[in-house]
Amino acid sequence: MTGTTPGPGAKARGRRPAFAPDPNTDRLVSMLLALAGEVWVLRERLDTVERLLARSGGIAPGQVDAYTPDPAAAEAREAARAAYLDRVMWIVTAAQTEAAAGETPDSYQAVVDALAGRTAD
Amino acid sequence: MEPQLQHAALPSADHDEAARQAFVQSLKLHLATKVVPGNREIYERRLKPDFERAHGRPPADRREVAALMRDEPYYQLWGSMQRCSQEMMHAAALDSVTRQREALLARMAPPADPVGSLTLDPAVAAPAYVTAVDIHCMPGGYMGDLAGPLYDRIVHIYAMAGWGPDNGAMGRTIADYIRQAHPGLEPRRILDMGCGIGNSTLPYADTFPGAEIQAIDVSAPQLRYAHARAEALGKAVQFRQADATATPYEDGSFDLIVSHILLHETSGRAIREVMAECHRLLRPGGLALHVDLALYDGMDPFDAFMLDWDTHHNNEPFWGTFRDMDAGALLTGAGFPADGLVSALVSRSGNAAHVFSDKRDSGGRRYWQIVGARKAEAAQASAA
Repeated sequence: MTGTTPGPGAKARGRRPAFAPDPNTDRLVSMLLALAGEVWVLRERLDTVERLLARSGGIAPGQVDAYTPDPAAAEAREAARAAYLDRVMWIVTAAQTEAAAGETPDSYQAVVDALAGRTAD
Repeated sequence: MEPQLQHAALPSADHDEAARQAFVQSLKLHLATKVVPGNREIYERRLKPDFERAHGRPPADRREVAALMRDEPYYQLWGSMQRCSQEMMHAAALDSVTRQREALLARMAPPADPVGSLTLDPAVAAPAYVTAVDIHCMPGGYMGDLAGPLYDRIVHIYAMAGWGPDNGAMGRTIADYIRQAHPGLEPRRILDMGCGIGNSTLPYADTFPGAEIQAIDVSAPQLRYAHARAEALGKAVQFRQADATATPYEDGSFDLIVSHILLHETSGRAIREVMAECHRLLRPGGLALHVDLALYDGMDPFDAFMLDWDTHHNNEPFWGTFRDMDAGALLTGAGFPADGLVSALVSRSGNAAHVFSDKRDSGGRRYWQIVGARKAEAAQASAA
C-alpha cells in the first residue's frame, strides 16, 4: 500500500486543469514563474557570496574573468544547468507525463463524481 | 515570516533549496495579498453590475459567479499562477526531501525510549479518496514513503507560516475553543482522526496535559513521521494506523474526538461513516469537533466561488461536494441529538478569541469552521 515518494520533477497524479484558452499560455506562465524562481535563487546565492567575500577580504579585479573551472567543477556546472532547464521546462515534461498516463479533463471529473457518490466510490 | 520550528525529524535544506522554498512562500504571499483582490474588483465593478442590469438581481450562487468569471483573462492568469505556486511549492520541497531519502527514513525509525507509541496495521487499506489523485498536487500523495517530511515542509510554505512555527495553529485554536465554549469538558481520552503528521494533534497534549491522546491515520508513512516528530518534540501521543470509518476502539471509549481538515479529503459515503463512528466511539455526553475551511451555506456567492477554486484546480476532488453539505443533517443522521449540534467560525490567528457570528466579510479563508456535536447523555440516549 505504501508507495515511494517520486523524485524531483514528478507531476502530481490528476489531470492538470486549463486556465487560459490556449494551453501554451498556461505553459508559458509556468516557465516564467520557474524562471523567476531561479533568478531569485541566483540572486540569493550571489548575495551570500558577496557577504562572505566582504567578511573575508574579497577577490582581486579580473579574478572572476580569469577563472577556469577544473574538470570536476565543469561537470558539476553542466549537471546544474541540466537541472535548471528541467525546472524551467517542467511544464512541457508534465504535459507529456499527462498524455502518457491518459489523464484527461473527463478523467478528473470522474474522480469528483465518484467521491461525491454519483458513481461507485 | 516566522521560521519553522526545527526538530530532529525535519528535513534540512541546502542553500539553493532553501532559497527556492523561500521564493515560493513569498510568491504565495504576493498572489494572496496583491493578485487575488483584483478578482473581486473585476467582479464588483463590472461583472456584477452588468449581471444586475440584465437580470434585476445579483448572482444567486457560486455557479452564477463562475459563469461570469471563468472567461476573464485576469482570473485565468491568477489561476494559472496559483496552480504553478502549488507545483513549485511541492517541487522545491521534493528536491530537498528526496535528496535526503536514506537519512530521513532512518530518522523515522522508532526511538529507543518513546514517551508515546506507534502501532501499524498493514491490513488497513488506503481508501480510493486518498489514492485517486495526488491530493493538493503533492507528488506521491499521502502514501509515499516520504510523505511525512514532505508535508511538514510544504504546509509551512502553503500557510505562509500562518499556522505557527510548529504548524500547530489549527489544533491550538480548537483546543482553545473547547476551553472557552465547553469549559466543563475535562477529556481523559482524546482521539484525533486523520492526524497525518500530528501537527494539529500535539497542541492537545499541551492544553489537556493529563489526557491520553490517540491519533489515527490510514497512511503508515505519515504515522512513522508523526511518531518521530512527536518524540523529537517530547509529546506523548499514541499513534495507530486505522481508518476513521471503522476504528479498532471500543464503544464509548472517548470523551473528545477531533479532526482537522480531514472531512474535505474523504467522500460522500466515508463522511457519513466517519460521523457514525464518532457517535459510536464517544461516551454519553462526549464531544466530536471537526475543523475545516468554511461550508458554503450562508457564504457570499463570490467568496464561495473563490473558495471552490481548489475543487477543480488543486486536486481536491471532494472539496466542493463537502462544502455544499448540511453538517447538521450529517450529524443528526449519525445519531447525534439536534440540540447537541455545534457550529462556530473561529479566527485563524491561533487562538479562538475572535469567534465570528456569521460568514460575511470574511473571504472564506480567514477563519476555520468547526462543526460537531455532543452525544446525548445516557438517560437521554436510553429514552430516545
